[in-house]
Amino acid sequence: MRISFSTTLMVCLTFVTLGCNDDQASVSLPESAKPLAVDATPYLVTTEPADTTPVGEARESLMDGESATLIGTIGGSSKPFIEGLAAFTIVDQKIPCCAAEEGCPTPWDYCCTQDQVKDNIATIKIVDESGSPVTADARQLFGISELSQVIVSGTAKRDDQGNLTLAASTIYVKP
Amino acid sequence: MLLPWEYGVRNLARRPIHSGLTLFALTTVTLLIFVVVGFIRGLERSLAVSGDPNVMLVYSLTSEENIENSSISAQIPDLLAASLSATVKHFGITHHSPELYLGSRVTTADQSPGLGLVRGVTPTAPLVRRTVRMTEGTWPQPGEVMVGRLAATKLGVPTEVLKIGNQIEMEGQAWQISGTFAAEGASFESEIWCDLSDLQTATKRQDLSLVAMLLKDRTASSEVDLFCMERKDLELRAVRESEYYQTLQQHYRPVRILGWLIVGLVATAGIFAGLNLMYGALAGRIRELAMLQVLGYKRVAILVSVVQEGLVLASAASLIAGTFAVCWINGLTVRFTMGAFALRIDSLAILSGCAVGLLLGILGALPPALKALHASVAINLKAV
Repeated sequence: MRISFSTTLMVCLTFVTLGCNDDQASVSLPESAKPLAVDATPYLVTTEPADTTPVGEARESLMDGESATLIGTIGGSSKPFIEGLAAFTIVDQKIPCCAAEEGCPTPWDYCCTQDQVKDNIATIKIVDESGSPVTADARQLFGISELSQVIVSGTAKRDDQGNLTLAASTIYVKP
Repeated sequence: MLLPWEYGVRNLARRPIHSGLTLFALTTVTLLIFVVVGFIRGLERSLAVSGDPNVMLVYSLTSEENIENSSISAQIPDLLAASLSATVKHFGITHHSPELYLGSRVTTADQSPGLGLVRGVTPTAPLVRRTVRMTEGTWPQPGEVMVGRLAATKLGVPTEVLKIGNQIEMEGQAWQISGTFAAEGASFESEIWCDLSDLQTATKRQDLSLVAMLLKDRTASSEVDLFCMERKDLELRAVRESEYYQTLQQHYRPVRILGWLIVGLVATAGIFAGLNLMYGALAGRIRELAMLQVLGYKRVAILVSVVQEGLVLASAASLIAGTFAVCWINGLTVRFTMGAFALRIDSLAILSGCAVGLLLGILGALPPALKALHASVAINLKAV
């Protein structure tokens, strides 16, 4: 009887000790792993748009409020996507990303050609009818990833510092 | 049939000096385990509680992951406030904290110089740094500073040196201590806080290191990210504060691994010390153990009794070391590169220390007991 009581006490103490640990394991899912509440159909086009403008050229000629169709490669930094929003950066296709043989783990950050990226990058945000950015991760919504080639159509937003943002209403993902 | 429980316990009392020495050795080893695990847990906790998931840090893109190297324009806070709706705003006050953060040589009243962490802040800082509580004194006015609970440890001076009313010297100026603060164990506790414009004047700088923003909710961080992405010219990066400190956790991973390695090494050394002691103890008891076999006790029963002796000693050692650790080691402050933190003897530390202690008792007793019981009873009875 004494042994069984001691055993029970030890087991209880073990559980109490383990239970006292105040480290709370995080169970929240990353934004990209959460189920989507947004339908991609209104934004995704299946036929490749014609008359596209490379990002570098657009940065030189595009005015604020002008409509444009830009073509580029997703990248420009180690994290080109914004979690929770359908927004990302694209780089002109003429800028080469790090070659595979260089062993760069994140070739989409263009670390080997960073000085050229500055004048050949644009921010793309996919917007809804009201003009607000779509609140869903672009990777999950459109099945895109870093270094995917995309064509986006929308309205340009320029500022005095030369930044280019495209509020895009449609996106075409090159196969 | 097992030997009576009292037999093993009384055996310990028969050799008080030997038992006392073994107890001392086991206590020392277990205490070392407590200290090392307490160090690891303290470091982990300090970094874990430092990051508020609702706070976003905006700093320079070129500073990599070191805020001390960051330099952003002083206009950024106003620009962020005007451009974003993600920041909490109450009674017309935006909850953001422009800060200048740097490491500086600090000379205290006892003339001992040390490297301190200095943060220039505005009165909105407590709205964002929600763990910070003033424990004594007043908010720093021009020419004054307030010191964190662990600032003295960081500077390597006694706590009394940083009492309210005392003076310190930094950036070529004398500053009076106006208050002290605590931050629930967060890294701010090892810092010295002063007025932002005062620090900018003293350091002849007009820039800021970062802007900390309290967000309305966790999803609002996307808006800040988008702003930094769109305004490429500002070369800003936005990181959730909790993520920033998680990155630091990754940086300190080798230190933590080294800590656990030391735990393993100390435990192994302890086991060998225990083995040595138990071999010595059992060498003089071979005839006694053989006699027990003659009396009809099985080898397993004798083995259990010997392990029981080791376990009783190890349990006592774990209790003594545990009590000492909880009363005198828990909360001890240590200086570290990022500031200072308190050793933490929490449930995991107690579990690890006691588990190693008990393991020492069992593993230390088993091999010599097996060896003593391996030879035949007749030979053992004639052993000298």
